[in-house]
Amino acid sequence: MIKKSKYLALFLFAVILTTSCEKWLDLKPQDGIIRQNFWKTKEDVKAAVIGCYSSLFATTQTLFIWGEIRGDMISPTIKSSAEQLNIINGNISSSNSITSWRVLYKTINYCNTVIDFAPAVLASDKTFKEVDLNSYLAEAYALRALMYFNMLRSFGEVPLQLKSTSSDASLEQLVKSSQQEVWDQIVSDLAFAEQNAVTTYGIRQQDKGRITRYTVNAIQADVYLWMEKYTECIDACNKVIASGQFGLIAGKILGDNGIDSIINSQWYYTVFYLGNSNESIFEFQYDNQILNPFYSFFISTSRQFMGSPLVMDEIYTVDPLDDTNKDIRGDFSSIRSSDGMIWKFAGTNNTSPGTPRTSTSSYAHWFVYRYSDILLMKAEALAWSGGGAEALSLVNVIRNRANALAGTAKSPDPNSPNEVSDYIMAERAREFAFEGKRWYDILRNSKRNNYAHIQYMLDIITKIAPGDRQQYMLNKYKDVRSHYLPINLYELQTDKNLEQNPFYQ
Amino acid sequence: MKPIYVKLYYCFFALVIIISNTLNGQQVKERITVQGRVIDNADKTAIFGCSVVELDKDNRAVTGVPTDINGNFAIKISSPDNRLSFSYIGYKTIVQAISGRTTVNIGLETASSVLDEVVITGVASQTTTNTGTGLNIPVRNTTIAVSTVEVKEMQELGASSIDQALSGRLSGVDVGTTTGDPGAGMSIRIRGTASLNGSANPLIVVDGMPYETQIPSDFNFGTADEQGYAQLLNIAPTDIKDITVLKDAASTALWGSRAANGVLLINTKRGSIGKPSIIYNVKGSVSKQPEAIPLLNGDQYSTLISEMVMNRDGLPLDITTNKEFAYDPNDPLNYYNYSRNSDWIKSITQLGYLQDHNISMQGGGEKARYYASVGYFNQSGTTVGTGLNRITAKINLDYNVSSRIKFRTDITYTHVNTDFNYSGSIRSIAYTKMPNMSIYQYDEYGNLTPNYFSPASNIQGQYSGTYNPLAMALVGINHQLGERVTPKFQLEYALIPNSVLIARFDVQFDINNSKTQTFLPQLATGRPTNETSVNRATDSDGDGFNIQTKTNLVYSPKLKNGHSIQGVLSLQSNDTRSVSHNVATTNTASDILQDPSNPSRTQNSDLTLASNSSQYRSIGALVQAQYGYLERYMLQVGLRGDGNSRFGPNNRYGLFPSVSARWRVSGEPFMKSFTFLDELSLRASYGHSGNVPGSNYSFFNFYQPYNFSYAGMSGVYPSNMELVNLKWETLIGKNLGFNLGILKNRIRVDAEVYKNTTKDMFFSIDLSSYTGFDGVNMNVGTMDNQGWEIQIFTVPYKTAKWSFGFDFNIAKNINTLRSVSEFYPKTNGVKIDVNGQYQTYLQVGNPFGSYYGFKFIGVYKDAEATIATDASGNQIIGPNGQVVQMRFNYPATDYQFKPGDAMYEDINHDGNIDYKDIVYLGNGIPKFTGGFGPAITYKGNLKLSAFFNYRWGYQLINGTKMSTTSMYDFNNQSTAVLGRWRNPGDVTDMPRALYKSGYNWLGSDRYVEDASFVRLRSVTLRYNFTPDLLKQLKISTASFYITAENLFTWTKYTGQDPDVSARGETDPLSYNVDNSMTPPGKTVLLGITVGF
Repeated sequence: MIKKSKYLALFLFAVILTTSCEKWLDLKPQDGIIRQNFWKTKEDVKAAVIGCYSSLFATTQTLFIWGEIRGDMISPTIKSSAEQLNIINGNISSSNSITSWRVLYKTINYCNTVIDFAPAVLASDKTFKEVDLNSYLAEAYALRALMYFNMLRSFGEVPLQLKSTSSDASLEQLVKSSQQEVWDQIVSDLAFAEQNAVTTYGIRQQDKGRITRYTVNAIQADVYLWMEKYTECIDACNKVIASGQFGLIAGKILGDNGIDSIINSQWYYTVFYLGNSNESIFEFQYDNQILNPFYSFFISTSRQFMGSPLVMDEIYTVDPLDDTNKDIRGDFSSIRSSDGMIWKFAGTNNTSPGTPRTSTSSYAHWFVYRYSDILLMKAEALAWSGGGAEALSLVNVIRNRANALAGTAKSPDPNSPNEVSDYIMAERAREFAFEGKRWYDILRNSKRNNYAHIQYMLDIITKIAPGDRQQYMLNKYKDVRSHYLPINLYELQTDKNLEQNPFYQ
Repeated sequence: MKPIYVKLYYCFFALVIIISNTLNGQQVKERITVQGRVIDNADKTAIFGCSVVELDKDNRAVTGVPTDINGNFAIKISSPDNRLSFSYIGYKTIVQAISGRTTVNIGLETASSVLDEVVITGVASQTTTNTGTGLNIPVRNTTIAVSTVEVKEMQELGASSIDQALSGRLSGVDVGTTTGDPGAGMSIRIRGTASLNGSANPLIVVDGMPYETQIPSDFNFGTADEQGYAQLLNIAPTDIKDITVLKDAASTALWGSRAANGVLLINTKRGSIGKPSIIYNVKGSVSKQPEAIPLLNGDQYSTLISEMVMNRDGLPLDITTNKEFAYDPNDPLNYYNYSRNSDWIKSITQLGYLQDHNISMQGGGEKARYYASVGYFNQSGTTVGTGLNRITAKINLDYNVSSRIKFRTDITYTHVNTDFNYSGSIRSIAYTKMPNMSIYQYDEYGNLTPNYFSPASNIQGQYSGTYNPLAMALVGINHQLGERVTPKFQLEYALIPNSVLIARFDVQFDINNSKTQTFLPQLATGRPTNETSVNRATDSDGDGFNIQTKTNLVYSPKLKNGHSIQGVLSLQSNDTRSVSHNVATTNTASDILQDPSNPSRTQNSDLTLASNSSQYRSIGALVQAQYGYLERYMLQVGLRGDGNSRFGPNNRYGLFPSVSARWRVSGEPFMKSFTFLDELSLRASYGHSGNVPGSNYSFFNFYQPYNFSYAGMSGVYPSNMELVNLKWETLIGKNLGFNLGILKNRIRVDAEVYKNTTKDMFFSIDLSSYTGFDGVNMNVGTMDNQGWEIQIFTVPYKTAKWSFGFDFNIAKNINTLRSVSEFYPKTNGVKIDVNGQYQTYLQVGNPFGSYYGFKFIGVYKDAEATIATDASGNQIIGPNGQVVQMRFNYPATDYQFKPGDAMYEDINHDGNIDYKDIVYLGNGIPKFTGGFGPAITYKGNLKLSAFFNYRWGYQLINGTKMSTTSMYDFNNQSTAVLGRWRNPGDVTDMPRALYKSGYNWLGSDRYVEDASFVRLRSVTLRYNFTPDLLKQLKISTASFYITAENLFTWTKYTGQDPDVSARGETDPLSYNVDNSMTPPGKTVLLGITVGF
């Protein structure tokens, strides 16, 4: 009797234990979204797409550094880090963390996540139409293409990651894809995006902050120009121009007397301080919730970069006779000449002595494409496809708008593509100062037609190299493989299949 | 769904009821009255209030009455077969069978001897080990590797927590300090680190139930880090009876998951039979920071800085923008505030005081016993603004319902109130702070004002790189409050009497609430009031609730012919829930408004308003048995199954077997002739134990919203990847040991050799960036911890008056990686051209801890010296006949060495210092570690004991020397740099100052030193009052003691503190660096114990 009940109880015990164990241990998070509960509605898709844009904020610093510090418009300060100085001095090693592409691939992974998971939402949300899906996908494809384009210009060759990482079971090690594969991917991504992207979201801030069909065209123009496919480039530019959605903000307006034109004091405020102007195509939408990294970079007393003295001396120049006659893009627009502060992202106004943004109001947008870029890209493509004269007239549009000074005016031979494009480069330097384009312009102009014009780059290096490093840097840059960054050591360590870029092997 | 523990309990109670009903089936029908009188045997006076209790055959009290004023009683008994018990405080208890009598007269005897014994013996089960699982194995028959320390030995230390006091006491147990601040955490390592990721701290088991010592990983406490939660082991040292360390895997296997890092069993004191005994312990101490390394004063510093900047590119420091160095009387504010010789370290250093009071009361009778204590601990740290306040209370109750049913109820309460500095880096900031800067501000007339001098920024940078350390210490707040209540209940029921089959049943609730408040004052940083670092107030609250159950069935049949067997079936469950809540706001209107509830800025991506909840469950079942034959052959086997909610469905369960055996050689007949031999046993064990990952829900793919919007819209991103492949990390341990006792156990030796293999190690390995993630937790490889330990306890000399004892322990542990995932990096990726770093390589099969670097051979004294030479010392001539300069890292860096630069040995004589010149420099894993201590006792009253700990045979990188002589940026430096190279021809070993350039402090043997040391950890003189004296004072026990800690360290090491815990053990690619600026504090402590 005693034994019986005892064993019965033990048996019961064991039964309860084994049956409820599995359930008892199966815990789901009480808060937080998990994938199994996500990807159900069109709102989920939108949130994930917006997440891709939000991740762009992390890339700004990298885009600036990659695009500017090897150029001639930036000077280091006493607070520049050793790694920054090393790059400036042409001493680029794979251990330098500036060569890390991590932030860009993060965005790529978010885009891939959208591309992989969003189509399934069609099944669960009947109000979600294929055309909406495709427009979201267009945004993801275009952003992915833009990221690969930036990396390709910086590294020459990169691994092509087209799948999202959602589980440790799907990890794999990639090899570097060939340049052509990546180009093809960029082109096809952009083709899809062009076809499916919307032309407007109905809200200005979103039109400027999200990918529209015109943003895709702008990226296409840039990509084709880099690939030296000039007709396609001109086509892409023309699509933007023909849309009629964009125009240049006037740099000069009529004076009170109705005759003399005076400098439009609102120009800087409209284009750079506020952003999202009529001439903007795509900008990273910083605001007071999310500050850009430029306060500590450009503004604070421990700033790491300032504009080079060359910017005022050679690029904009001053009118020796009339100091009110100035290039509107120069002093108090791109740069504060008194202390070299990079005013484009630092200023709140364009009048002397200038009030810089504070650490809490440092939310100038990062300008990816502006309408003037379309015009100058088209000019460059024209120059190399026999349209030298038309190219020069486009340059003059830009020059006139900005009141470019006579000191920077040149009259290149319209039939010499080299002369015209050098002139365009100089204009681009003025127009896009500190917008992360200078180094790529230098490289594009030098590498064209199999480095026929490498002297362009070498001349610039001669100007900026410190005296004791000049010969070293010139010799180094003569080896064209050195124009691309090395793959960061970290990547080589974590992926044995990656091969270091040739110059750094 | 009902939680399983509820089900378990229903089930168990059903079991108890069924069985007790059947056992007590025959109830007595008739009731008889028994009467009588109770008197004192000595003087024959009546005893009033004596309790007369009827006991049944299981000693269960059936009914009871007290005697009246004349000593008379009358009791209605339920069975004439039962017995009567007569007990009264101060008298011996008498139990008599009723045997049908109706009158029982009793005389009681006084029991003074009983009282004496209470104090001396305490609880009477010290001869059995408690592996925590419920088996009751005599110590001499244990088959596993354990070592026990009686806490009595450590109570004389000034430690607030027992982990601090354990340091060096037990072989194979390594206790490391994080900082010396009150309340700072400690790390405990048993036999090295068995896991490369997650917690390596051992499982703590208090009175048989696991005790959570870690804050759940998802508590996200703003600025607080791990060290903030040291309160978790805040059991008052005086409440602890003993601490046992389970070291081999056969013993830890019984605890299954989480036990892979070893188990620390803590038993607290319990009441014993006797009249109440009250003991009051008090101790107080004072500690002093020893002298720090000498630093430059303001004048020396300013000279250095201008020289350093000049050396960079020949351009002088621009004093128009850097007015800190202008020394311009026409700029009075800067002139007065930057022309000082401030001693920042001194300003934040104070004497530390400690007081610790503890009152305990214990006693009880046959039926009920109690131990209760209340303690107060207060400590102020040696850094201004740090301190710890703690109140502890504990009640342990034991009640014997009968010889078959017993209850235990324990309640522990701890209240902790700790003040940390807002920033953990106050001391290091003070070390590097420019000494020409004033601590308090001067006005423009040169008058010292009481305001802190906190410029928004200066040449050294701004917050968080630098700030005013004194203002930060005094006005900054980092306040941690902890409340922890741990009630515990145990019911024991003998299913078969005489302890043959016992069901024991534990439930423990653990309510653990902590709160952290911090405030970052603008006074300390001087930043403009619109920044989010200004007047930043945070408040974090974390509430943990944990229920654990344990149900044991212990079977110990009485066997004959020398056989013995014991078995246990144990079912355990653990359910931990935690909720946390976190808020950070900034820009309150004033430094006085220090709480986030004050109107302040709340919207910014830097600011937080977050809450989180999380849950974790585990379940375990254990079957274990020990068989013994003739006290000579012992065998123990166990099997544990574990389930854990931290794994995905595929890998949720783990099975951990263990087996161990002991052969008592000394018990064999052929050993009879060795009469001096008391004990000689050989032991062997083998076992598995498992480890779970540190975080919950890792097998889900989470989408996280961004804390800012983009163009007015909110976005989400995948914040992790799901870990479907993560499985148990398993430790497979093998252990061989022997125990030797000779000369009436005056010499005892315990020795162990072990090898612990950790399979499927968790490690967060770095992932290629193109995955979009930084790293992933994986089971990556296999690691071995192998080594040996010896503990020796001796009493070499003993007479009636004198006794001399000497204990010694020594241990060695080596970590070796046996295999590793291909994803795992093979070097630490250190850049050759980065100063201050050493190379390490991962060599599968080689022990951890070696590091590599350049050989430093001095300083280039002039231009001549910088010319490259070949192996025979001749100058190397280039193709054009020119001499070749020594270069660094040609062609990648191509720096030409200049006079005054550090000179590294060109191992291959190619005129180029590069990775080919990197050589082996040292290994940071000690060859031996341990401790020893003599104790001298005179007449049993006066006792002098000392304790030394040591590490031997390892090289340490003197990080302090590196950072205080690098002359690389605007940090203050040690006075050693006064001997730096300044002019061509200077012969010195201190390179020139060079601002943010050059390669003067590359990882080289210049900073590698032999760090072997022996430290006099503590010395104590204790005096116990003699019984005669005690009688005169009418108290039962009294003693006082004085202890000095960290009096002296013998070492060749020139740095501040060679006792740096071996970092190389936690990551095969890391190396250990001593960054301490100050040697450990010296403390003098005085304590008194009085018992009534």
